Amino acid sequence: MSSQAEFPERPCASPDDASEGAEPQWTFRDPAGQLRLTRAHALRRIHPGAVEETLAFLASPLRAVLERSGDLISSEIVQPEVTPATLPGELWLHHPRIDPISYPWEWTTAQWRSAAELTLRIASQAIDAGWMLKDATPLNILFAGARPILVDVLSLERRNPNSTTWLAYGQFVRTFLLPLVAEKLLNWPLRTTLFFRDGYEPRTIYEALPRWQRLRPSLLDVVTLATMFESKAGKADKARRFPTTSDPELATHILHKRIFRLGKQIRRAARSQTSSQWTGYQQSASHYQAADTEAKQQFVRGVLARLRPAHVLDIGANTGLYSLMAAENGAQVVALDSDPAAIAALWQTAERQGKFITALVANIARPTPAVGWRNREQLSLLDRLSGQFDLVLMLAVIHHLILREQVPLGHIGDLCSRLTRRWLLVEWVPPSDPMFQEWLRGRDEIYGHLTEADLTQAFAPFFDVSDRTVLGNGRILLLFDRKPVAGMQREAVTS
Amino acid sequence: MRNLLHTIPLLLILAGTLLLFEQPAYAYTDPGTGLLAIQAAGSALVAVGWYLRRKIYALFHRGANRKPQQGVYGGTEEGNVWEGNDRKGQDREGQGPRLP
Repeated sequence: MSSQAEFPERPCASPDDASEGAEPQWTFRDPAGQLRLTRAHALRRIHPGAVEETLAFLASPLRAVLERSGDLISSEIVQPEVTPATLPGELWLHHPRIDPISYPWEWTTAQWRSAAELTLRIASQAIDAGWMLKDATPLNILFAGARPILVDVLSLERRNPNSTTWLAYGQFVRTFLLPLVAEKLLNWPLRTTLFFRDGYEPRTIYEALPRWQRLRPSLLDVVTLATMFESKAGKADKARRFPTTSDPELATHILHKRIFRLGKQIRRAARSQTSSQWTGYQQSASHYQAADTEAKQQFVRGVLARLRPAHVLDIGANTGLYSLMAAENGAQVVALDSDPAAIAALWQTAERQGKFITALVANIARPTPAVGWRNREQLSLLDRLSGQFDLVLMLAVIHHLILREQVPLGHIGDLCSRLTRRWLLVEWVPPSDPMFQEWLRGRDEIYGHLTEADLTQAFAPFFDVSDRTVLGNGRILLLFDRKPVAGMQREAVTS
Repeated sequence: MRNLLHTIPLLLILAGTLLLFEQPAYAYTDPGTGLLAIQAAGSALVAVGWYLRRKIYALFHRGANRKPQQGVYGGTEEGNVWEGNDRKGQDREGQGPRLP
C-alpha cells in the first residue's frame, strides 16, 4: 500500500534545531578540531596544527583495518566551506550520520561494557600499529543499531615508541570503569553519569566504598592506591614526567599489559544481567490467552508488511518482541524502555541476531534532558527523536502514561504527532483490563470512565483512525494516520 | 575573669600554630596524578618481570647462538591476546613475554 517514498523527508536532528539562533553549533572542546551535524553528514573541521597527524592516520593501514571491521566511523575528505571563520590550511571531513545519537547515560551495563571493550580493542590494535588513543571516553562511542562504533578520528595519534604511559588511561578509568564499579558495588545507576561528564574520580568511589571493599584486588590500583598517591601528589607541585624506556619492545609490552588488565577489570565490574518484573512479562502475562497474543502479533505483522516503514520507534519496547518484528521487516528500529533489565535483554538479542535496533533506557514521560554548555552539547531525547520515524509503536503504553504519570490523552496524542511522520500503532487497554485495574487504585472517578472513544477524540486533531481490531481480552489495536495539519491543531489542544 | 585572661593567649597561640601548617586546598590539586602514579608503578613491575624472564631464559640457553624473540610478543601476537572473553587471552595474563 505505502512505500518509503510516501513518507515525508526526515528533519535534521541537530543542535541547530534545538537552538535559539540560526548560527550553526560547532563542538568546541577539542583543540584539534570541531564537529557539527548537517542533514546528511557529520562535518568535521580540523585545525591546521592537527592536519598533518590526521592525514597520516587517514593514510595508515590501521585506519583501513578499523573502518573495514566497522569499529571506526568512515571518513571522506571534502572541500572546506569558504566562510570568514575558515582558516587557511584546514582539513574538512565528512562522516556518515549515526541516528539517533545515544548517550552513555541511556545505555545498559552490557552496552557500557561493549563500548569499553571496543575502546580497548582499538587501543590494542593502535599500539601494534604505532598509534595510540589519546581520548578514551564513552562520549566518543555511538551505537549504530546494536553495534558500538568509535566516531572520533581525532582520538588517534602517533605514539612515542619508548613511552610506557597511556595518556588516556585516567580518562578510561574515570569514565568507563568507575561508573561500572559504582553501579555494581554502590548501586549508583549508570544514568547518573548524566551529571558526571568526566566520570568519577577514584577518591569519590574510595570514600563511598565500605572499607573492606577498598581492598578488592580489582580495585586496589584504580581506586585505593590511586587515591593514596593522589593525596601525596597534591602536596608537592611537581611538573609531570611521563616514564619512558630505552627498549621499545618493553614499552609495547607494558602498554599491552595495561590494556589487558583494564579489560579484566571491566569484565569484573560489569554487573551480570539481572531480571526484573518486566523481563518475563511477555511469558507470564496472564491477561493474554494464546489466541489474543497470536491475533495481536498477526495484526502488527500485517501493518508492518503493508506499510514497510524504514524507521520505527517502539515506545515501551520491553524485551523487544515487536522491535524484532519490525527489524525483521527491514526497518531500523529505536526501542525505548525505562526498565534497564528489559532493554539489556533486548540489546543482547539484537546484537546476537545482528538486527538494527538501537536500544535505549529511557522513559518517554520523563525523557533525557539536554545537557552540557548552554544545554546544547548533548541533545534531549525528544530533540533527537522528533519527526524521525515512519511508524511509532505504543503497545500497551498509554495506560502507563495516564495512570502512573498523570498525562492527559490530548498531550499523548500531541507527543505522538511530533514523533511520527505518518503512522502510529496504539494498543488501547480499557479500564476493565486487570492491568489497568491494578494501577487504578481507587481513582475510578477520574480514570475509570475512559473509553476508546475518549482516545480517538483526544487524538482526532492529530490523527485519523486507519485500521482497528479488537482482541479477545478486550484490548483494542488502533492504527492512526497522521493528519498533515497536525502541527496547526497542536497549540489549540494542549494550551 | 583571671582564667579567661589565661585562656585567650593560649587560644591565640593555637590559632597561630594552625595557620603555620596550612592545608592544601584539595580543589586545586590535580586529581589525575594518582592514576598517573599507578601507571608508573605498574610499568616498573611489568618491566621487572620482563627483565627477570630474559635473565632466566638466558640462563637456560647459555651458549645457544640466538636471542629470545621478544618482538613476537611485543608485536601483533600480543595484540591477538586481547579478545574480550577469550580464554586463551586470559590464560596468558601475567606470564610475561612469550618466549620461543
